[in-house]
Amino acid sequence: MTELLNATAITKRYGGITALSRADFSARAGEVHALLGENGAGKSTFIQILAGAVRPDGGTVTLAGSPYRPRDPQEAQRSGIAPVFQELSLVPDLTVEENIWFRHEPLSAVRTVRARAMREATLELFARHRFPSIRPDQELRRLTLAERQVIEIAKALSRDPKVLILDEATSALGPQETEWLLGLARGLADAGSLVIYISHRLGEVREIADRITVFRNGATVAAYDTQAVDDETIITDMLGRRMDRLYPERKKTSTDTVALGLRGFGVDHRLSDIDLDLREGEVLGVAGMQGHGQRELFQALFGIGGSRGTVDVWGKPKTIRSPRQALTGRDGLALVPEDRRNHGLLLAKSVRENLTLSVIQRFTRFGITDPRREGALVDEMIATLKIKTGTPEQLAGTLSGGNQQKVIFGKMLLTEARILLLYDPTRGIDVGTKGEIFQLMRDLAAKGYAILFYSSDLAELVHVADRVAVLRNGRLAAILEGEQNSERQILRAAMLETRAA
Amino acid sequence: MNIRRHRAILLAYLGMIILLLLTSVVAPGFLSATHLRSTAVLAAFIGIVALGQTFVIIGGGIDLSVPWVLNSAAVLMTLLANSQDAPLLWIVPMLLAAGALVGMINGLGVAIFGVPPIIMTLAVNVILQGGILVYTGGAPTSTAPKAIQFLAVGRIAGFPVVLILWIVLAAFATILLSKTAFGRHLYAVGTSATVAEFSGVPTLRTTVLAYTLSGFTAALAGMLLTGYTAQAYLGMGDPYLFTSIAAVAIGGASILGGTGHYIGTIAGALVLTILTGLLPALNLSSGALLIVYGVVILVTVSLASEALSSLFAALPRFGRQRGPAA
Repeated sequence: MTELLNATAITKRYGGITALSRADFSARAGEVHALLGENGAGKSTFIQILAGAVRPDGGTVTLAGSPYRPRDPQEAQRSGIAPVFQELSLVPDLTVEENIWFRHEPLSAVRTVRARAMREATLELFARHRFPSIRPDQELRRLTLAERQVIEIAKALSRDPKVLILDEATSALGPQETEWLLGLARGLADAGSLVIYISHRLGEVREIADRITVFRNGATVAAYDTQAVDDETIITDMLGRRMDRLYPERKKTSTDTVALGLRGFGVDHRLSDIDLDLREGEVLGVAGMQGHGQRELFQALFGIGGSRGTVDVWGKPKTIRSPRQALTGRDGLALVPEDRRNHGLLLAKSVRENLTLSVIQRFTRFGITDPRREGALVDEMIATLKIKTGTPEQLAGTLSGGNQQKVIFGKMLLTEARILLLYDPTRGIDVGTKGEIFQLMRDLAAKGYAILFYSSDLAELVHVADRVAVLRNGRLAAILEGEQNSERQILRAAMLETRAA
Repeated sequence: MNIRRHRAILLAYLGMIILLLLTSVVAPGFLSATHLRSTAVLAAFIGIVALGQTFVIIGGGIDLSVPWVLNSAAVLMTLLANSQDAPLLWIVPMLLAAGALVGMINGLGVAIFGVPPIIMTLAVNVILQGGILVYTGGAPTSTAPKAIQFLAVGRIAGFPVVLILWIVLAAFATILLSKTAFGRHLYAVGTSATVAEFSGVPTLRTTVLAYTLSGFTAALAGMLLTGYTAQAYLGMGDPYLFTSIAAVAIGGASILGGTGHYIGTIAGALVLTILTGLLPALNLSSGALLIVYGVVILVTVSLASEALSSLFAALPRFGRQRGPAA
C-alpha cells in the first residue's frame, strides 16, 4: 500500500529552543500508526504542524502525493486532517450537537441552522461509530471530562477525516470508553482511514497499532512494525542515553520517623487506595504519565478539592480541607504548585510581598506589621536562595522563571512547614537553577525536612529521590528503590498495564 | 515609600492642586478659608462613603449598595429619633451595626455563593430601596436631631467636627491597609484570589470584612449627611454611588482590584468636590456637571488602564494569566 502521509526532515525552533530537529514520519491509509516519545520529545509540535496550528521552519510534508502546507487549522480540516487534542476545544455553553457541528452546521437557504437536520446527523454519527449514549441536546458544561473527550472525538469524526489524530485521547477516559475508542480507531483504519495514535500506554499501542514511530529530542529515532519489536526496545529508544550532571550527591538522610502517612487516600475516581509513608529526611519521588493521579495527590494533600482516606502528619491525624489548614507552621505542609504564574505568584506584586504573603503573622505585633522584621525575613530568604532581584521591591513578574520559582520556594520555606510538596518544581527552568534547586532539596532533607517530589522528567526522580512511587490509573503501581529506581523501571511501571483478562 | 509604585496617588494630588489653581483663576475667592473649609466638609461625605468602597475595590469587588444603605440609615435615624437627641445613644450604634450587617451579607453572597459583586450589591441596593419605600410610604420624615447636626456642621475651635471625624477614619483606614495582615491579605485577594487561596490567605474572611466595612461607612455617612441637610429624604444617597467609585478610581486604584490606597481616595473625593464647586462658578448647570463627572472618570480610568497595559507589555506572558481553575 502507498504512503498517505509523508513528512521528511521537519524542523521547528521556538526562539533558542529546538522543538523538532529532524522529524521523519511516514504512514499509510488503512493503518493505526502510533507516535511515541517522552514528554518534550516533539510529538505535540509535530501534530500541531499536521493540524495547521504551527508552521514548520523546514522540511516537507506530502499528503496523498501532493505537497501539504496548511496555512491554518481550517485548511488542514478541509484537506481531511482532524486532530483530537488533549486540551479540549469545546464551548461549554453550547449543546453537544452544537459543539459537534460548530462552524459547519447544516444551514437552510437563509443561513439559519436546521435544527432537525443537525439532530439527525448527530444521531446518525453516534450510531455509525457506536458512541456511548450521550444526549445531543445536553449542554456541554454538564458533561464529565470523559464525556467531553468523547464529544471532541465526535466533532473530529463529523468531518469524515482521512487522517484522524488522537493525542492522549484515552487519558481522560474510563476503561469502557477506552475499549470503545480502541475499537473505533481500529475500525476506522480497517475502513481505509489513517489513525495517528499518541499514547503513553504501551498496552493500548500494542493492541491497535500496526506501526510505531519513536521521537526523541525532536528527531525520529526509529520506526517499527508493532509485531516486530518488543517493549524494551521501544523504551530504550524513547530514553536514549543522557548525560548525568547537575545532580547533587545523594546521601541517605531519612530516619524511621514517618512525617506523612497516607492510608486509603483517594480523590473521587482519579486516585484510589494510596498507602504511602513519607519519612523524615527523605525525598520521595512521585512518577506517572500525565493524568494518572499525581496532580490530584498533590492538590488533595494541600487541601484543594476533596479527598478520602486518612492522613497522618508527624504521627497525628490531620484534616486538610484548605491550603490554610495545610499551612500551619512547623507541623504543616507547604506546596510548590504546578502553575507558577496562576497559583504561585502575585506577578504584579513585589518579591517582598510574595515572599511573606503566607507568614504575615510572623512579623505582626499587636495587629500591626513591623517592616523591619519583615525586611529581615525577606533579606534572609533572598540571600539563602540567591534570588536575583534588583531590590526586594522589584515586581515578581519581572524576574526570570528560575528566580520566580525561587521566590515560591522562599515563600514556602518561610512558613516553616517541614513537609514540602514539590510539583514539577524545575519545569521550564534553566539548567543552572535546576541544579541549585536539587541541591536545596537534598540540603533540606538532610535537615530533617520530608519532601514529596513529582517531576515530569524521569531522570530527576532517579537522581534526586531516595524512592519513587509510581502511579498508574490513579493507583500506586510500584515503589522503586535502590537499583530498581531507574528510568526504565519507572516507565515500565507507569506504562505497562497488567490488565486482568 | 516607593515613589514609582505610588505614582497614581501622587498624580491624583497633583490633579487636585492644578484644579484648585484653575478654580482660583475663574472664581477668585475660591481659595478663601471659608470656601476651602466648606469644600472639605462636602468632600468628607464622599470620602467616608468611599472609604468602604476603597477596601471593596482593592479586594477585587465593587459595592453598588451604598446609596440605599446610606439612605436607609438616614431615614431610619430620623424616624426612630423623632428629633430627640437622647435615643441617638442606641440608634446610632444600632444603625452602624445594621449597615455593617448589610455589608456582611453582600460579602457572604460574593465570597460563599459566588454571586458576582455587581449583581449581589445591586440587588441588595434595590431591596433596601423597596423596603424603605414600603416602610415610609414615601412620606417625608422629621428633622434630624440636634446632636447629629452638630457632628455634621458643628465646629470645635473653629474646625468642622466632621473633618475631625474624617481625619480619624482616614488614619484608621491607612493603618488598616498599610500596617495590618488584613490589609496585606486584601491586596493579595484583589490581585489574584487563586494565588491568595494557595498561599493560605483567609480569602473568605478578608472579602467579607471589606464589604462589612463598606456597609458601615455608608450607614455612617448617611447619618452625618442627614445632620448636614437637617432632614432625610428619599434619593439622598443616589449621587454617592457614582462619586464613591469615582473617588476611588481617581485616587489611583485599579477598578480590577489589587492596587490603590485610601490616601489616593481622599484626593479623589476632593477633586470631585472641587469640580462640583467650580462648575456653578462657570455658570454650568447640574446637567453639565454630570457630563464633566463622566468625562473625568473616563479619562482617569483610561489613563490608569494605560499604565496597566504598559505593565502587561513589560511582562510578555502576563496577559495570558488565566482565571482560577474550575
